[in-house]
Amino acid sequence: MYDYILITIGGFLLVVGALCDLIAAIGMNRFPNFFVRLHAATVGTIGGAFYPLIGAALIAFGSEFLGNYRWFVGGASIVAAFLVLILAPAGSHALARAAHKSKTAIVHPKVVDHLEEDGGVK
Amino acid sequence: MRKELIVATSLTVTIIVLAYVITLGSGLGPLFNGIRPLAEVYLRTTLNPSQPSFTAMSPEGVTAIVWDYRGLDTLFETAVFYLAIIGAIAIYRGVSEKVRLNGAGVGLSMIVKVVTKVLIPINIAIATSIALHGHLTPGGGFQAGAAMAVIPMILIIAFSRYLLLDLKISKEVALAFRSIGLAGIALTAFVPILIGLLSGVNAYIMQNQLKADASFSLPAYLGDALVSGSLILYNISEYLAVTFGFSMIFLLLSIEEDIVKEQMRGDGVEH
Repeated sequence: MYDYILITIGGFLLVVGALCDLIAAIGMNRFPNFFVRLHAATVGTIGGAFYPLIGAALIAFGSEFLGNYRWFVGGASIVAAFLVLILAPAGSHALARAAHKSKTAIVHPKVVDHLEEDGGVK
Repeated sequence: MRKELIVATSLTVTIIVLAYVITLGSGLGPLFNGIRPLAEVYLRTTLNPSQPSFTAMSPEGVTAIVWDYRGLDTLFETAVFYLAIIGAIAIYRGVSEKVRLNGAGVGLSMIVKVVTKVLIPINIAIATSIALHGHLTPGGGFQAGAAMAVIPMILIIAFSRYLLLDLKISKEVALAFRSIGLAGIALTAFVPILIGLLSGVNAYIMQNQLKADASFSLPAYLGDALVSGSLILYNISEYLAVTFGFSMIFLLLSIEEDIVKEQMRGDGVEH
């Protein structure tokens, strides 16, 4: 019973991940400037990598036939998911900040630019 | 235009011939049940206490082949890598990494610095486990060293190279640790001969387990833990050597271009 619930939730997370990857790919092609394209890329890394990894961990936990190895597979997936969760935002933040500071990426279709107004994080 | 056509044609022909020889032409020997005879020899002997003179006492076939079955080959591969590092040091000779630029060394934003600090203990744990499990699971000394060398790299990027100088990790310190690692590899290679000379037993350079005419063998078990004789010693030494070899290259490459040019012209700081 628990196995069935775990595998169903895991499969749902995998589907969500695939959809996020598709949305991110469309965004990378269609968005007009560097910063919104970066936003699309992070949809791909968080939605398209973090959710599927958690889903894979849940599916592994629910797979009796793997024996004790299911804890290894699931644990490794959760550690990888945690690393993606903290590294992807830090990386895209560093990219965006560097691009904005060096003025190599022009914020062209611009609604608001708070970083220009108050300087952003130190 | 004609030259490109010749290059493209010869590349294509080479790839097709190689693919044919490897897959259909049985260039690597016939395939029985998905395994070639050579692979079967290694699979049957890599962890097989019933064949003491052929086994490497390691369940990880790749490490057993790399450090035991063809150990001398790996030794010279390692030598090529360290010659490349020595070449880099030779290019940077006379350049001191201790010179600082005014106002430099601020580093990236606080967010990146905090994430880097979280990452470092995880990275140390993973790299050390790759090195210490090199004889049990895929990985080994070189891979562990490459994983560990990520730490100086991200420290240089997220903080700045001056942080490494403040932590007293200079070119000389890295060179010393790298030399300890290389000495460990050499020592592991010569230990069988030394013990053999002292105790009067026949032994070979880079010997791991006993051979038909040499009864010497390094301990395969330490207590209950499988350590595979020389393999764990090679992996740990290579881990040290690769970590600090790469660290030294990153330290040298991160010196500001102005400082390098000034010192290479010879009108810079005394050194």
